[in-house]
Amino acid sequence: MTGQAPTPVQMERQRQRARRYTRPGFLIQLALLACLVAGPMLMPSFRVMDLVAKIMIFAVAVASFDIILGYTGIISFAHGMFFGLGAYSVALICHYSQPVQYHHLLLAGLLAALISAVVAVVISALSLRVKAIFFAMVTLAVAEFCHILGYQWSSLTKGEDGVSFKLPGVFNADWSGGSLWGTQINGRLLVYYLILVVAVLLFVGLVRFVRSPVGRVLKAIRDNEQRATALGYRVFRYRVLSTVFGSLVSSLCGALFAMWLSYVNPDTVLGTPLMLNILLMVIIGGLGTVYGGILGAAFIKIAETWLPDLQKLALSLWPKVEFMQRLAERWILLFGILYILSVLFFPKGVVGTLRDRAEVRRLRRLGRP
Amino acid sequence: MDLSVTATPLMETKDLCVRFGGHTAVDRVNLVVEPFTLKSIIGPNGAGKTTLFNLISGQYRPSGGGIFFKGQDITALDPPGRTALGIGRSFQLTNIFPSLTVLENVRLALQSREKIGLNFWRHYGSLSHLEDQAYHFLEMVLMAPRWAVPASTLTHGEQRKLEIAILLALEPELLLLDEPTAGMSLEEVPAILELIRQIKATGQRTILLVEHKFDMIMALSDSIAVLKEGRLICDDTPRAVAANPVVQEAYLGGGVKNA
Amino acid sequence: MDVLNLAHGAFFAWGAYAGFAVLNALNGLGWVETGTLGQGILSVLLALLAALAIGGVLGLFLERVIIQRVYGDHLKQILITMGASMVLAEVIKVLWSPNNQTVLVPLSFTGSYDVMDVVINKFRVVAIVVGLAVYAGVMAVMQKTKLGIIIRAGVENREVVQTLGYNINRIFTGVFMAGAALAAVGGSMWGIFREQITPAMGDENLIFALIVVIIGGMGSVTGSFLGACMVGLAFNYVAYLVPKLALGANILIMVIILLIKPWGLMGREQ
Repeated sequence: MTGQAPTPVQMERQRQRARRYTRPGFLIQLALLACLVAGPMLMPSFRVMDLVAKIMIFAVAVASFDIILGYTGIISFAHGMFFGLGAYSVALICHYSQPVQYHHLLLAGLLAALISAVVAVVISALSLRVKAIFFAMVTLAVAEFCHILGYQWSSLTKGEDGVSFKLPGVFNADWSGGSLWGTQINGRLLVYYLILVVAVLLFVGLVRFVRSPVGRVLKAIRDNEQRATALGYRVFRYRVLSTVFGSLVSSLCGALFAMWLSYVNPDTVLGTPLMLNILLMVIIGGLGTVYGGILGAAFIKIAETWLPDLQKLALSLWPKVEFMQRLAERWILLFGILYILSVLFFPKGVVGTLRDRAEVRRLRRLGRP
Repeated sequence: MDLSVTATPLMETKDLCVRFGGHTAVDRVNLVVEPFTLKSIIGPNGAGKTTLFNLISGQYRPSGGGIFFKGQDITALDPPGRTALGIGRSFQLTNIFPSLTVLENVRLALQSREKIGLNFWRHYGSLSHLEDQAYHFLEMVLMAPRWAVPASTLTHGEQRKLEIAILLALEPELLLLDEPTAGMSLEEVPAILELIRQIKATGQRTILLVEHKFDMIMALSDSIAVLKEGRLICDDTPRAVAANPVVQEAYLGGGVKNA
Repeated sequence: MDVLNLAHGAFFAWGAYAGFAVLNALNGLGWVETGTLGQGILSVLLALLAALAIGGVLGLFLERVIIQRVYGDHLKQILITMGASMVLAEVIKVLWSPNNQTVLVPLSFTGSYDVMDVVINKFRVVAIVVGLAVYAGVMAVMQKTKLGIIIRAGVENREVVQTLGYNINRIFTGVFMAGAALAAVGGSMWGIFREQITPAMGDENLIFALIVVIIGGMGSVTGSFLGACMVGLAFNYVAYLVPKLALGANILIMVIILLIKPWGLMGREQ
């Protein structure tokens, strides 16, 4: 203002700008990105690549759910449904267009975005006006409807059997481009990199969203809706905007997921277990943190990969007891209990707890003048 | 200021009514607020003061009558729309964003005024000028040293000051202050009154104030309106109001408040 | 009660499985498939009672252990009851296997009456009678008794009711148990009616319950009754014409109702 001594606010801002590229958070992100890029070259194991690709997709899906649940404070049970809409867009377009070409993929992506945006606008415009509870109920009903539709509209979706399809050109699983530095270049690898690029872009988009003016207003609305209204913010619009944005990203994640599997069926991309998985991931990672999505997705997906081994363990320990084997088979039960415990006792999740610590440090520095 | 000119008032209510069930909380109130003045509304508890405020700021819908701001009919406008026109309000119960920092609280008001709320592609870092302005408003209410802490850690008096800073940051033409000293300790009250006096002294703001402590606003107000059982029974200069026998009976008389 | 309980469907399923288990056990005594009319009626009654008991116990457990910690926080209620619903469904799978089960039904309850050329399924009559009785009972308790007044007041303001000397926590636990027990009875009746149960039946029926409550408006028993009639009628008519769109028709009704009356048919604006 006066141009002389900088205010404490300006000093703090300069400090933050100066250490922008040396912050631990930034360095961790950089290292993570490097691992994701170099991973398939260094560790040519399909099991690992499969796991990492799924973690990337779910990290973004969970982060986008966090925009709705953590930042906006409304609960949408339709997030899994939007994931499924995206997945089915890709699957159906690729399945029914012969021969499948690159522009079909692009078209599928656009279709996924368009459909999910329209559906999200309709659902939220209808039910967000009332109470958050209503929104939860309406989304649950609509999501279940879509799940049933996936089963019943078998002339289009092939019902329970699901849709398998082939990807175009270099993304096709059969395509092979020789090897580079000892790594097989094939369709799978290229799809992996496509997922990497799109997931990173989407994630950056999500982070930008929370750090934009809208993100700030959402935080304010979550904190004190009445005050936000009196400041001149039309709360309803912000809720709709964030719901639509989160749902749209979710549908694109679904599209990536379908590309990775080359197959979709109603239970894997539209069912309740998917929604519960996303909920669990977001709770474990931490609500309202966005980055928590990465941790949550990694934790659950890794656990999912290793938990079937539990079954073998149970089989060897109690070979005769059927009950124990059934128990081991139902590892979702363990997730459920873990989930309830974390909602009750660990509501901020991993990233949220870490952030609280950082906040305490910041206050120690700035709080008492 | 030439008060003899009969220009349109800044804000005006015409036969404003609101009924809740069978109870008429605000009954045909015609209130006129002239620009750049400070008008206080007093009345016993339950006289409809806060209800009237909620009607003016748009929280409640009137059952009858109309509200006009600078000659424009705003009866059907929602609260955000009224804020955009230049009506800012504070609340009787402290109403801030508790988990956000003090600076952030004020910055959100500035962001609303600049109408960049629905922008989701711009990075907040590029809006540093808002931070600087917000800090300036905190300096005005003597809250600058506390800019970095979460608002929930402030004392009650500090939170009231923060609220006024938020209100000022909206730069409204009409400030609605609902019992700005409510719930404050006696030592904190003079600072708030001084703040209101300063805002008034700039000569750029119109203030409508609700208070039920009469002596507190006698010196401060240009005019005082008295509400009783939802009706406007008197609207005059502080001295005239104090001398008005009806008011004395209804409100000041003998300490008997229930009518 | 202002608690959104997504585990309600799980109570429903548990009731069905409890009834199923009882009927299975009684069949071992020769009561169910080959028994007399009296034995048949008794076994169905026992099945319903078992469901009532299991629903009550589960409700008590859930309310005490989980829900009491999250009163007043809708978001957590939704999240946590969703988790509880999943856990309960999984436990069913552990105890009884994830596959469909066939419910044994006493002979006297299968088949139908023929009243002036209209064929009426026998158990349907039982279901309608029990349903009406429950509706009348809930209405009577909520509107006419002191308990009903306390409950309604407690939803509005817990503290005040508490200072009046009522143990609102215990009352709410009781209400929650009653709700869970009713859901379980409904589940066991559904199981006997359909003669088929699956662990996922809770989720499937929860959707209907949700649509019913949304259409009817929250906090209104009469609204739920109206909503249930609309949903049931619409579902059956559309199922008759275009079977696959039956649920879609209900969603459509819900959307239309929300457009006209965002708080539901009988819900009051808050």
